[in-house]
Amino acid sequence: MSERMTRPQIPLEEGVITPGSTCQGCGAAMAARLTFKVMGPNVIRHGIPCCPDQSSKSPSTGSVFEGGGPCLTGTARALKALGRTDIKAIAFFGDGGTYDIGFGGLMSAAQRNENVFVVTKDNEAYMNTGGQHSGGSPKYAETTTDAVGPNSRGSPVHKINAAFAFAAMNIPYIATASVAFPEDLMAKVKYAKDIEGFRILLIQSPCPVGWRYDPAKTIEVARSGVQSGIWPLYEIENGSSFKLNYKPKELKPITEYLKPQARFRHMTETEVNEIQVYTTAKWEKYLKADELKQIVF
Amino acid sequence: MVDYEVMVGNKACAVACKLARVKVAAAFPITPQTSITEYLSELYASGEMPGFEFVNAEGELSAQIIVQAAARVGARSFTCTAGPGLQFMHHPMNDTASGRTPLVMAVVHRGLKSMQPDHSDLMDQSWLGWVHLYVENAQEILDTTIMGYKIGEDARVRLPVAVGYDGYVLSYTAEPVEIPPQDMIDNWLPPYKPPRSLFYDSPEAPIGRGGGDRGGGDPNMAWKIHHGAVEAAESVIKEVTADWAKLTGRSYGNGMIQEYKTEGAEVILTAMGTVAGSASAAVDKLWKDGKKVGLVKIRSFVPFPRKDFQELAGKYSAIGVFDRSIQPGMGGPSYREIKNSLFDTGSYPVVAGFVGGLSGKEVTVNDFVKLGEKTLEFAKAKKADAHPIWV
Amino acid sequence: MIEIRLHGRGGQGAVTASRIIAAAAFEDGRYSQAIPMYGTERRGAPLTAYVRIDNVRVRERELVHTPDYSICFDEFISMNQIIANSLKPGGVVLANTKFKAEELPLAGDIKIATVDATGIALKHLGRPITNTAILGAFAKICPEISMKGVEKAIYKYFPGRIGDMNIAAARASYEQVSELVPAINKEAPKEVVEIVSGGYGALKDVSGWRVFEPVVDEEKCIGCKNCWIYCPEAALEWTANNKPAMISRSCKGCGVCANECPVKAIEMKRVEVKKK
Repeated sequence: MSERMTRPQIPLEEGVITPGSTCQGCGAAMAARLTFKVMGPNVIRHGIPCCPDQSSKSPSTGSVFEGGGPCLTGTARALKALGRTDIKAIAFFGDGGTYDIGFGGLMSAAQRNENVFVVTKDNEAYMNTGGQHSGGSPKYAETTTDAVGPNSRGSPVHKINAAFAFAAMNIPYIATASVAFPEDLMAKVKYAKDIEGFRILLIQSPCPVGWRYDPAKTIEVARSGVQSGIWPLYEIENGSSFKLNYKPKELKPITEYLKPQARFRHMTETEVNEIQVYTTAKWEKYLKADELKQIVF
Repeated sequence: MVDYEVMVGNKACAVACKLARVKVAAAFPITPQTSITEYLSELYASGEMPGFEFVNAEGELSAQIIVQAAARVGARSFTCTAGPGLQFMHHPMNDTASGRTPLVMAVVHRGLKSMQPDHSDLMDQSWLGWVHLYVENAQEILDTTIMGYKIGEDARVRLPVAVGYDGYVLSYTAEPVEIPPQDMIDNWLPPYKPPRSLFYDSPEAPIGRGGGDRGGGDPNMAWKIHHGAVEAAESVIKEVTADWAKLTGRSYGNGMIQEYKTEGAEVILTAMGTVAGSASAAVDKLWKDGKKVGLVKIRSFVPFPRKDFQELAGKYSAIGVFDRSIQPGMGGPSYREIKNSLFDTGSYPVVAGFVGGLSGKEVTVNDFVKLGEKTLEFAKAKKADAHPIWV
Repeated sequence: MIEIRLHGRGGQGAVTASRIIAAAAFEDGRYSQAIPMYGTERRGAPLTAYVRIDNVRVRERELVHTPDYSICFDEFISMNQIIANSLKPGGVVLANTKFKAEELPLAGDIKIATVDATGIALKHLGRPITNTAILGAFAKICPEISMKGVEKAIYKYFPGRIGDMNIAAARASYEQVSELVPAINKEAPKEVVEIVSGGYGALKDVSGWRVFEPVVDEEKCIGCKNCWIYCPEAALEWTANNKPAMISRSCKGCGVCANECPVKAIEMKRVEVKKK
């Protein structure tokens, strides 16, 4: 598991070239900036189509939308074949590329335990094309292809619990992070980078345009996501060892997270309650797993 | 009651799906197609399309397979994509044609080499046995999408139909569109019935072990599609287009091609899709200057209007063909087909092949004026420059 | 046929405005066409859109190259000659700016009208979305479309209460727009402010993107580094005396720093667009 990092330990040097081409208050831009502050130079960054984040100072390559897993595999195997194991194959993908259009290929790469590190900025829809539904879209969120009307209440399904889907592949390291908790995020990047095998870090990256809130509130929204249990911060090793990194005495009500976001504006009290019950039940499972230090299937 | 609205091309497409009472739609977002799926999502949410199923597919490969299966089972189906998304669909698209599964797909052109439009994405699919229609404006999108179901579902054809139109300059461009009333379309377009039922309570249901539908191992499948379905599509396109003109008053030539000021012209230009609009404005300018240049808009690329061009061949001394795509090493596709068509006629007008507008490069009215003048020069010289001529 | 070019930034609603103008013209019994020119531009990135209005169906599908009217939705871009370039002789520029028409550094055989659409938008909508806040002004100076048509079209795009707010903004700009004044400058200033366009990757300078910018009160600042670490653009430099300093070319004015400051030492102030 990763080791705690403190504010003074954050390097002053940037790993990205700014300004970038993102919207104002972009969570993905924050995720990229934090990630590449500690990623170091000895990487090949892989990208597939996704919303802009930040250009990093590292060499980069990429592939088609559905090609994240295979593309990383090719690089990792070539690095091994060429004897350059000092270089790491890493990725900075979006939620769509990770667990929607690219899910199949990435799952297979995980199952083969390819020596790659995937960082996913999860903004819960295809923001690059204007906010369409992806596997990351949470239940009831209004996306541009989950319209709200008499016949539809926004996204009809819960978002993919991707961390646990990858845990089923018994890969060495899985973690979640949030842009509101930079020290935690960077500690995980640092730790995961040097592990051998498939590792993945999922970063919740709020999107002011797609989630429809004031751009100044990106961190506020991300923080309340963690504090309400919607986006818990945890690590899973070898598919079973489990650690919760942030454990408030009491969760904040999810309304604190939902309210500022107009994508949830249409939700009825019953629907909010449903999500509250769902979130609390899951949180209790996480607490239990944390106590046992492992996931019990 | 006929209604009018200023809407973008992509909305015209979604409205056509509603009017055609599409039952299943599946799509994956890709610029510049995305807003079709967004409008469909709105129509789904509002309940305006009763019994409509809408799927946010996790990729184009799945989108094509979802609508293909839905259409086989008997639901009128629709999907839409663009450029690379169309390429990702390529594999199952073959089954859609070989399985003789009618459905309509909007292809919002996005060039294969950039985000901006040219026709290379749909041209890339011309071996599969789909019907390929290219349209010019938002009204034609609405009309052709509805006509596409009538053409594809015709017992003589039974093929999927691709309706291609340029991204951005048409997909995102707003212009007035006439919306025909629902009952008018209901009377004109009967509910879809699949050629054979898959339901156990139907005597014709096929029994077997399933599997991909490439024609059941029939080695003559491609030949049959070519000689039967696609060839038949030509007369069906003509019938349906004439019928539509009677119904709505909107005419698109004979369906295969649409002529503009060709009567009395010395030479003609040809164009496909949105650029035909600018070309027709250019033709007006040319006639005003006493230059007799007509325009033939090619609406159907597969099947190719071979017979139409054979009839046109003897009437003009030169044809200036404009292609908005290029097959590297082979040139402009419609140029090649037109020249092919003329070979057997015995009349040999000068055929000039222009290629331009690639990756969204703008083709202006003035460009077409120049092409018209150049074609007149070629007619005089009885010889064109080597193909292709870069615009 | 009359042709209109619109200059704006992602998020200001220029594309919607182009559609509203087209719909308004159609309401007035004309044919119209609205073409947006954008690819992957984000909020804040400059973009253009075009409108044609004619008595017959518009067939041309090229961008507008010599417009009769040019409308600028952005205060910063309003200071740039690009909004006046390639207009037809006697063409009209409508600019969103606090400056008077005769003060704008624009040149050519053109007439200029100005309106403080950002101010109107902030007042009526609470946000610097200037599209409808400039359409009223356009209806006033352009005889080709009517205010009635504009109002009907706005309701089509923004039904209900949001529509009322937008129409209030449009009416305010109808009242407040200046007279049309011929450009005083005959030649464009040589020094042109570069308008950085969007797209993927790193950009040179985004200072023109912001409507508000952070002003740090160093007395109040406790040096916690919240603003520094949460800035998506690394636009706050951490100085030797343990305080943040804005890197002007990188700040997009999102306001995250001010929002995250535990002692409210950062205030977001509206940017004063200056003449060169």
